[in-house]
Amino acid sequence: MDKLSKEEVEHVAHLARINLEEEDIERYRIQLKKLIDDIDKIKDIKNYDEEMLITPVTFHSDLRKDEIGSMLDYKEAMKNVPASNGNFVEVPVMINE
Amino acid sequence: MNQYKTTIGIEVHAELKTKSKMFSDSANNYGKMANTCTNVIDLGYPGTLPTINEKAIELALRAALVLHCKINKVMHFDRKNYFYPDNPKNYQITQNRTPIGIDGYVEITINNVPKKIRIHDIHIEEDTCKSIHSNNKSLLDFNRAGVPLVEIVTEADMNSAEEAMAYLEKLRELLLYADVSDCKIEEGSMRCDCNVSVSKTETYGTKIEVKNIGSISNVGVAIDYEKARQISLLEKGQVLKEETRRFDDKTNSTILMRVKETGNDYRYFPEPDIPFIELTDEYIEEVAKNIPMTAEKRREIYLNNGISEVNVKKIIQNRTISDYLNKFINQNLNLVIASNLLLGDITAYINKYEIPLEKTALTDEKFIDIVTCLDTGKINSKIFKEILEDVMEQDLPVEKILENHGVREMSEEELSEIINKVLENNEQSVSDYKKGNERAIKYLMGQIMKETKGNANPNTIVEKLESKLKE
Repeated sequence: MDKLSKEEVEHVAHLARINLEEEDIERYRIQLKKLIDDIDKIKDIKNYDEEMLITPVTFHSDLRKDEIGSMLDYKEAMKNVPASNGNFVEVPVMINE
Repeated sequence: MNQYKTTIGIEVHAELKTKSKMFSDSANNYGKMANTCTNVIDLGYPGTLPTINEKAIELALRAALVLHCKINKVMHFDRKNYFYPDNPKNYQITQNRTPIGIDGYVEITINNVPKKIRIHDIHIEEDTCKSIHSNNKSLLDFNRAGVPLVEIVTEADMNSAEEAMAYLEKLRELLLYADVSDCKIEEGSMRCDCNVSVSKTETYGTKIEVKNIGSISNVGVAIDYEKARQISLLEKGQVLKEETRRFDDKTNSTILMRVKETGNDYRYFPEPDIPFIELTDEYIEEVAKNIPMTAEKRREIYLNNGISEVNVKKIIQNRTISDYLNKFINQNLNLVIASNLLLGDITAYINKYEIPLEKTALTDEKFIDIVTCLDTGKINSKIFKEILEDVMEQDLPVEKILENHGVREMSEEELSEIINKVLENNEQSVSDYKKGNERAIKYLMGQIMKETKGNANPNTIVEKLESKLKE
């Protein structure tokens, strides 16, 4: 198969919360398939180590003492907010009532 | 309809009792003005890096240990990816592949029958921001974003609302007594999601998740509602779909929520900004050693000390009293009297004046003195009631307070005089006793107590009275 199904592209678009036109979907069916095939090539690497590598560093995490540091003041925190309501950030409704 | 079997699994999120957040040093502070406890990490600014809260790891480990889990000694975090306004990074840092604890259990007891509810895993994650939905808008408060959580996931081991509620009560008690979380469901520091399915066969039915349940008793209501709803749909020949519903406490029913991603759609992958965390055996041992005494252990000690089951239950429900009482274990103090005082007059005083126990003038020495006075009969409970306020308010030793109230131990002579007088005035009773009527001594005893106005030790009175009657 040289391209993804329409539903697969629509599903990915939904996860990314983007609207696609019909012609976009057609284009992405081919482009996304090519991308996935490229990623799949990793499996062809000789002696491919399945063991999980989460970081190239070998040392372990340092832990932070549980103390309160400096915080943003309210105005600064809300500076980039497109809409506010009282002290809250306002966004389009997230659940269906 | 009765042959349907209900299967329930529960996910609990509990906020950890830390000062700062999981991956940032902003304050973990409930009840502050919205969006005043944040920093660039909580708000997901580009270029910021998470750091791990040491206390959160310790508390999560405690929780894993009290749930009898196996510990993942080398663990890491994962990113759970989703686009949703409650998380500005578009991923939540959680543990998917290496949860801190796996394969544990919680034991519940219903009608004296014990049952183990298996814990699939307990993992650490950051909370999302708090969202309030009203008038077609959602309002966000990022004070909660990044607060450390443990999520505790059971196997589908419960079969009734009663079992689910018993599990939650037990879990809450475990976390509360281990000082892991304050578990205030009404404030959202403990939240329960239930997976409910019904089936007539051994195969599980379609799993429906119910979120947003605001109390343990409502978990019971939600489960019973879901069970009835699902059975009624199945009986109509409908096919159920996996979905997420939320509990509505106004109508005591569940309502369909918009479906979020599930399973693979989250595209979990290891969090590259946080290297592995190693929990050494020494560290685990140290953490285990510092877990405060469990409610279970406390119950056992109290019952062994003769405290009634009713009172033991009351003590366990009040952590402050339990901690206070625990100071006197193994001190040769009468714990029955001690617990009666704490649950009775002392609690009444605290409630009346609305001051916490530690803010009163009651010191450990004073408490020991009072319990001892009551135990040896030096004072009775009536006298204790009289001096209670002074004990709680004055920085004076008990002896001095008793003296101020005119309560003092009578001299031998004074007591002898009173006994002689009572015996003279009650010749009939004396002769009854001498004829073998044991009950007569009780009457005489009562008369003497009355005359001494409680200022003599009852044990001493009995001793003296008996020897006088034998003369």
